[in-house]
Parts: sequence; C-alpha cells; structure tokens
Amino acid sequence: MKIMRDSYLFGSGGRWQRLTPLFLLLPGVLLYFLIALGPSIATSYFSFTDATGLRGAPVNWVGLDNYKEFLFQGLASRDNIAATLRTLRFSALVTVIQFTLGLIIALLLNQKLRGRTFFRTLFFIPVILGVVIQGLMWRLFLLPRGGPMATMFGWFGLQSEFLGGQPNEAFMWVIVVQIWANVGITMVIFLSGMQTISEELYEAARIDGASNWQLFRNVTWPQLTPAINTNFLLNIVGSLQAWQLFYTLIGYKPGTQVLGYLVFAEGFGQTGSPAFRQGFAAAASIVLFFIVLIIGAAANKVVSWNEQRYM
Amino acid sequence: MTQKLNSLIGIFTGGDSASARSRRLKALSYLVLGIIAVFYLWPLFMLITTSLKPLTEYLKDPAGLPTAPSLANFAEAWELANFPQYLFNSAFYTATATAIFIVSSLFVAFPIARDYFKGSNIILTLYVIALFLPPALIPQFQLILNLGLYNTRIGYILLFLINPIGMIIMVNYIKSIPRELDEAAAVDGAGYLRYVLTIIFPLIRPAVATVTVLHAIGIWNEVILPTIYLTNADLYPITRGMIVFQGVYGNNWPAIAAAVLMLMLPILVLFMFLQRYIISGLTAGAVKG
Amino acid sequence: MKSKWFGLMSMLLVVVLLVSACGAATEPAAQPTEAPEAPAAEAEPTEAPAAAEEVTLRVLVHQNPPLTEYLEQFNAAFEAANPGVTVDLSIVAPGDMPTVIQTRLTAADVDVIDYCVAPCAGFSNAIQPYMSGVDKPTWQQLIEANLLMDITDEPFVQNFDEASIQDAATFEGRVYAINVGRVSYSGMFVNNDLLADVGVALPTTWSELVSACETIVDSGNQCMTAGGADVWPIFVGTYGLLGAQFPDQAGLSEGLWTGEIKWNEGKGLELIEKFQTFTTEMLEPGVTGLGHNEATARYAGGDVAFMPTGVWQAPVLEEAAPEFDWTYVPFPGSDDAADNQYLFGKYDMSWMIAADTPHADVAKAYLAALADPDNYQEFVDTTGLLPTQPTATLDSKLGQAVKPLLDNYLVGFEQYWVPPKGAGQWADAWQASAWFAPFNEWTDAKELADQAQADLEAGLTSE
Repeated sequence: MKIMRDSYLFGSGGRWQRLTPLFLLLPGVLLYFLIALGPSIATSYFSFTDATGLRGAPVNWVGLDNYKEFLFQGLASRDNIAATLRTLRFSALVTVIQFTLGLIIALLLNQKLRGRTFFRTLFFIPVILGVVIQGLMWRLFLLPRGGPMATMFGWFGLQSEFLGGQPNEAFMWVIVVQIWANVGITMVIFLSGMQTISEELYEAARIDGASNWQLFRNVTWPQLTPAINTNFLLNIVGSLQAWQLFYTLIGYKPGTQVLGYLVFAEGFGQTGSPAFRQGFAAAASIVLFFIVLIIGAAANKVVSWNEQRYM
Repeated sequence: MTQKLNSLIGIFTGGDSASARSRRLKALSYLVLGIIAVFYLWPLFMLITTSLKPLTEYLKDPAGLPTAPSLANFAEAWELANFPQYLFNSAFYTATATAIFIVSSLFVAFPIARDYFKGSNIILTLYVIALFLPPALIPQFQLILNLGLYNTRIGYILLFLINPIGMIIMVNYIKSIPRELDEAAAVDGAGYLRYVLTIIFPLIRPAVATVTVLHAIGIWNEVILPTIYLTNADLYPITRGMIVFQGVYGNNWPAIAAAVLMLMLPILVLFMFLQRYIISGLTAGAVKG
Repeated sequence: MKSKWFGLMSMLLVVVLLVSACGAATEPAAQPTEAPEAPAAEAEPTEAPAAAEEVTLRVLVHQNPPLTEYLEQFNAAFEAANPGVTVDLSIVAPGDMPTVIQTRLTAADVDVIDYCVAPCAGFSNAIQPYMSGVDKPTWQQLIEANLLMDITDEPFVQNFDEASIQDAATFEGRVYAINVGRVSYSGMFVNNDLLADVGVALPTTWSELVSACETIVDSGNQCMTAGGADVWPIFVGTYGLLGAQFPDQAGLSEGLWTGEIKWNEGKGLELIEKFQTFTTEMLEPGVTGLGHNEATARYAGGDVAFMPTGVWQAPVLEEAAPEFDWTYVPFPGSDDAADNQYLFGKYDMSWMIAADTPHADVAKAYLAALADPDNYQEFVDTTGLLPTQPTATLDSKLGQAVKPLLDNYLVGFEQYWVPPKGAGQWADAWQASAWFAPFNEWTDAKELADQAQADLEAGLTSE
C-alpha cells in the first residue's frame, strides 16, 4: 500500500514515519469535511425534498420538482437566463478590470516609494469595512443631487440618476463598486507574490540587455504565476457569487438581478410571499453551484495550463 | 517608438536604478496612485462626516459637512453595557479560530502543494470546489446542534476553522518555493515536522500574513452567525452586542458609521502590523541564494 | 491505494452527511440553554407559578427602537411582579427573523416570539380558494409543524377586537397569536401651510390632485416626495391610488387570478396610466437619491406638499419638525370621491408562544401582561401603532388625523396577493409605479401593462 510518492524524502524510518504528513494533514481535512463539505452535501440532498427547515415538519422526497420550478416554471426560464447572462457579464468585467488594476497597483507599490504603506492600507480599507459599509459609502458618493460623483459629472456637463435610475446604468455602477471594494485583496496577493522574485533575476536579465517590457514578460510575469492563478480563480468565483452589493446598493430592482441575488431571494422570500422552503432554496443554490462549477473548472484548467508553462 | 513604450512599461517592471528616468517614473507612479487614492479617501471622508452628525441632520443632508461635528455617536456606542465583555469575546473568537486554522491548514497545504501522496490533487480539487459551494446555513446549524455545541464558544469557533480561499492562497504560495530546499533539508536529515515549522513557515510569511488578515476580517465582522449560534448574552461578540443597541445596523446610519469606524480599528492595526510581513522583502534572495 | 482513499473518504462523507441530515427528518436531541425546568404549576393563567423557582423567559423580538424602549420598562415591571422570573430579551435584525425563528424553534431555545417576518402583517397572504399551486405562508407552516401554542381559550385574547383576532391571528378556527397593532399605508401626509400659501384646496378627487400638483409646481414648490432610493416607498406610496381604483382589494386579488381583471384592460390599464402620472409628474425630481427616512426629513423642510407613505413616518416627521402643520388623508386616486374614503393597511406585529416551551404558564402570563389594557395603552403610545384593542385610544397628532377614518379601515391588497408560480418578473404590476422612468426602463403605460399581463398569465397557465 504505497500512499506516499517517491518525491517525499523525509521518511527514512518505518512505514508509520513515512505517513507523518498524512497524520498531520488529517485534522485540517476532517474539519473541512465536517463543517463545510458535509453540510453542503446535505444541502444537495435537501434540494430533492420539500424540506422546510422546521423541526416537526415532515420531509418528503420530491425528486426534481424544485429544479423544474426554479428553472422552467412559467417565465422562470426567461428571467433566470437573463440573470445568468447578466451574471456572466458582471463576472467578466469585474474579473478583467479588477485583475489588471490590482496588478498595476501592486507593481506601483512594490517600488521604494514614500508613503507606500499608506497607499496599501488605504486600498485595503474597503475589505476591512465590509459590504454594508461599502454600500453606504457609495450610496452617499453617488447621490444624484449633491453627491461628489454628481458634482464631478457636472464639470463635464453630465447628469445621472446613478443607482436609482435605469437598470443598465445602476448595474454598471455596482460593477464599479465591486471592483473598488475588492481590488485591495488582489493587490495584496500580488504584492506577497512579488516577494519571491529575487532581485538577482532582474540584474541578470538587465546585464543580458533586456528591455523593460522584456523584464516584465520574462521575469515578473512567470515568477508571479502562483499569485496570478490565485487571483484569477478567486476573482472569477467571487464575482459569480457576489450579490450583497446589489442588495445594499440598489435592492431588488427588476432588470438588475444576478444569480446570487436570485438564489438568495428565492431562499429567503424577497420575492412575493415568503415561506420556509429549505428544499427549494437548496435547489436554487445548487443550480448556481453548477454554473460556477462549470466556469470555475474552466478557470482551473487555465490555471493548471499556466502552471505547466511556467513552473 | 519602442523607446517610448519601453520607458512607459519601465514603470511596471519593478526594481529601480538611480537615474533621472527612474525619478520621472516615480513621479508618474505618484500621479496614478494619487488619482486612484482620491476615490478611496473621499468616500472614507464621507463616512467619517456621517459618523459625526446627529441622525436628524444626516437625514436632511446626507452628503454635506456636519454643521456641529460631535462624537455623540461614538460615545453612545461606547456606553453599551457589557462592551468589554463583547470586545473580549470578539478578540477571543478571532484569535483562537485564526490560530488553529493557520496551523491546521499549513499541514494540509504543504503536502498538497508538493503532491506528496496519491490523492492530494483530489483534496485540492475538493477545496477549490468549496469555493463554489452554496451556503449551507441550516444543515450546518443542525450539525452543530446535534453535536451538542449550540450556544457554546467551541461550537462557534468550530465554524471558522475552515477557509478555502486561505487554503488556495497558501498552496499556491508554497508552490513558488523550490523543491530543492526540501531535498537539501531531507539530505541534511531534518524531520518533516521540524522542516515545515522551522523552515517553510517563515518562508511563506507573506501568504500566512495575507490569509491571517482575510480570515480575521471574516470572523470579526460576522453578524448573522452569532445571531444564530450564540443566544447567551455573555458569549456575544461585539457585532452582536451592537445590534441590541438601539438603531445600530437598522437605519440609523450615523450610529452605524460610528460603530463600524470603531470596530475596524483592531483589524486596521492588525493589517498595518502584518504588512511588514506581506511585503517582507526578506524572502527575496534567501530562496534563490 | 486509490480505491482505499476513495473508500475512506466516502465513508467519512457518509458519516458527516448522516449527522447533518439527521436533524431535518427527525426530532433532534435538542439542548436547551441553561434555564432550569419550570415546575408543572397549577397556577391560574394570569398569575406566575406560586413556587418562586428560577425561570428565564426567552423572548425573541425584531429590531425596532420604540419597541425596545417599551419592552425595557415592561420587562422590568414584569420581573418585579413575578419574583424568580428573568426576562431574556433577544433582538434580531428584521431580515434575519425568518432564519432565527427557525433555528431557535428547532433548538427549543425560545419561549415567546414577536412574529414580524416580512411583510410583518400578522396571518396574511393566506392561500385563498381561487389560488392553486402556491406555497403556504410562513405562519401556516409554523402552525402545521405544531410549533405554536394554541391560545384560543386564554382570557387575554378577548382584550383585542374581533377583527384583529379573526384576520390576523386565527387559523382554521383556532387562535395562535395576539396581534398588537395596525398600520395604514395608503394615505398621504399633507403640508397645510404650503397649501394655504399657494392657495390650493385639499384635493378630494384624482383630477383635483392632478391640477393641484400643477399649481404647486408652477408656484415653485414640489408636489410629492418619496424614498426612491429604497424603491419600495415608491410603490407603497401608490397603495392609496391602488385602493381608490379598486376599493375591493380582496376582489382585485381574486379577479387577477380568475382573469376577470386584467392589467391591460379597463380599470387595470387606467390604474397603470395613473401610476405613470404619479411617477413622472407628481414625484419631485431627485427622489432616486432619497432614502425612506431621508425623504421624510426632506418633507419636514416644508417645500413639498404631499408625502404618500405609511403612518409609521409620523414619529419621524414629528421629531424632524415638531412645529410642522400636517394632516393625513386617504390618497385621492379616484374621480369618485366616495372611493377615496378608505384607509388601507395591514396588521403589524403579533406575539406568539412556542408550543413546547417549558415555561408555558410564565409565557402566558407575559402575554396576558402585554394584553392588559393599561400596559397596552402605553405600548401604543410608545410605538405609534393603530390600536387593535377597542378600549385603547390614540391621542397623538396622528391619532387625531386618523380617527375619523378608522371606521373605513380595510386590509390592503399586499396582504391578499400571492403571485402564481412561474409568473414573470413584471407580473406584480401593483408595483408598477417603481418601473417607470427614471426608476426603471418603462416609458409607455400600455406597453408595460401588456407585458405585466403576459407575465402574469405565464404564471396562471403554468403547471
């Protein structure tokens, strides 16, 4: 029974000593199974039932009824498809812009600038403050009459209702706030990744006559591969599931829903009459899960491909 | 043309030399950073001015400057009965859960990153999948209830001993540490446990610092979980304690602003302290040398 | 090797799955909090158990500052009158109430519940005979899971008026709650000073309202304001318009279900056109940026003539501008003045007892104390709800304004309507005032009405 690979070199002693890493790994993995994976699997089970979540209420198997209702009943498919497309648009824009902006800021702040601690902390503050306050700050910032953004728009002769107005525009502003709120995390991950890049590599490349662009492309970018992969994955998955900013900034406005919000609303009854419906809510969240899974798996493939190229 | 492109790109390649070009690049850097910073400072400023207004004034003029700035909102939050107890609880939960998580996940991340055993990839995939997982509030609640840990500190801390994002950050970071180091240490006769704790752990300080901060923020700011799991007032973290306090987290935005500004201070301090490790600069060279 | 791993891991998953799924299907071995068991007392219902045992009564309420203020002194008085009893008050944000009610009842960790789960309307939105395929409301699920105590025979229930017991607390002939207040949401606040300045009489019909608005705007003031940023104040502001157009609100709900009433025909279409007039011509510009309470503060500034919203804003208005001369009237949405005499609203919070509370007698005593007319009067004075006890009076400014209208109080459409499943997102056209520009993309009333009807019919005809 050969569990450990040959790459593991630390166990020279008996079979049990070779298994040390596994013993040390077990607590973490067990906790994870117990607290995260287990309940989520239970959720999948509930999605095939009419569970209410109330003690004493009977739980009956209903097969795919919940899924049919969520996905296909009446005009549900139209609204869900629209929400899915919107979610994909949201995720694509947020990922690309947040990733690029985070990288640029990290590169700038990796230099020996004065006040770089100040900037790093400043850009990270939204993460510390949390979603509710991010929403408050931007609702104030985007007040159509008298708010700072309205004033700035005025300099260019523009006028807008911002979050309270047309769905497409409100949607765009949520994208802006989402990026604003989370670029700090992207930045921090890139910055920590940059610490592994040895100065000597740059020196050697410069001696060989590399231009700045070549330095970036041949030294910085490859060396940042793990950070790039992390940020890419986190960005995509996070933006696919995000809905709380929509909740705090514009509420439930037809024409702006994203899937995460739809799932939350169905589960907690923000649409129509509320009811305890664990089973249905579970089905809705499993649908979201699968969409995220498909895109996340694709992202993961890109990540492994990227790894093989550079590492 | 390539010259211009080069100098423009030159801003972005890191490292600096003592030339005039470098000074121009730095100026450009400050400019870009400054413009972005405006959009962080200004909303923050509005948050602060909001916290200095009484509610009636805020309602009349949400975006304006306070006519008579006062610390009344802060004082009210501070006068909350049991404030020290709640603060202690928050700190206790955050510190304990973060510490246990960091240690346990270090020993999960390392063998996975090195692919030391068959099936390590499966476990990594399971963690990645955890990112996509739907929230499982009620089943998780039933689990804790059945374990007899409802309304206990242990039960509450248990909820925060996992963090798939943290795991992924650590695994990826460890992958950037070359295997030659492992081989050298093994040849020198180092044991696995000692190697991981004394050599790897310091080397991945940036990742550990990052994960620590992110994890701590999650626990510190959590509101719904204490509402569900901790019904005994002695166990309340500060976020739960604040809800009981009139109007906070309701619609009294100046009070909320004041409360949040106060609550964020410990995490801010933690971040500034850990920044030195995130941007340690100690690892560069140590690994390749 | 690999198979061993799979075996091990799947065993682990199965164990964990069993443990966590177990609780849903069966009664879990619930662990109550440290409160010791109360004795099986034979005390009369309105008195605490004679033996002074240590009892902690766990009360769960939603976050509402006036309510908290009232309960703090009420609880102190209750504890003084019942030695040995400690009241443990748990306050929860309104949005979290459904989840927390669920978890507390499952853990058997609550005795008395203030039932205020969105839309916080007593036993509302019940399944009507003409509806099919809709979900049971939350309160019905609680009752059917045997989680609520049947209090039909408790004397304190009779302190409340018959309508509130029937409409807000009864299911299949049994009473499970006491409802402690009503609100009205269909009227509008009127700025008497401004009307006098501009020389406009209080409008009593729709046409009068339209021309009054024009006059007011021409004079440099604003006609109406609302909390547009929060979205719901826009359409709640038109509940009066809805009620004037369709005074039989229960009938409207039925008509939409059976197809007798359609959004894009007759009175339905006319309603949507009036919604458009309301949104585009009556509401002041800039409403998109105002929150609900901010709109009230703005109104208190005196430049706006009317504010269509619920009576719960009266305290906010009073606090913002105590000198403000205002009154509250039904929204004149119809050209027939007789249709404009009603006040529509909903029942507000209810109090219930957990069915298997170990402290049944103390819990009943608590509710009895809440229902005691003197305490209730104080409660109504503090929270500003319209009373559901016939003996209570409402002496506030709001009370004066609303008193003559209370005979014409009806439950509103929002409390009857349950949308059919599968209906599209535009089916709930009673909210359509929030869908016209500048709030959303619609600019043509007929087009919106057609879309709304199509979306509704999709739900009516789906499985």
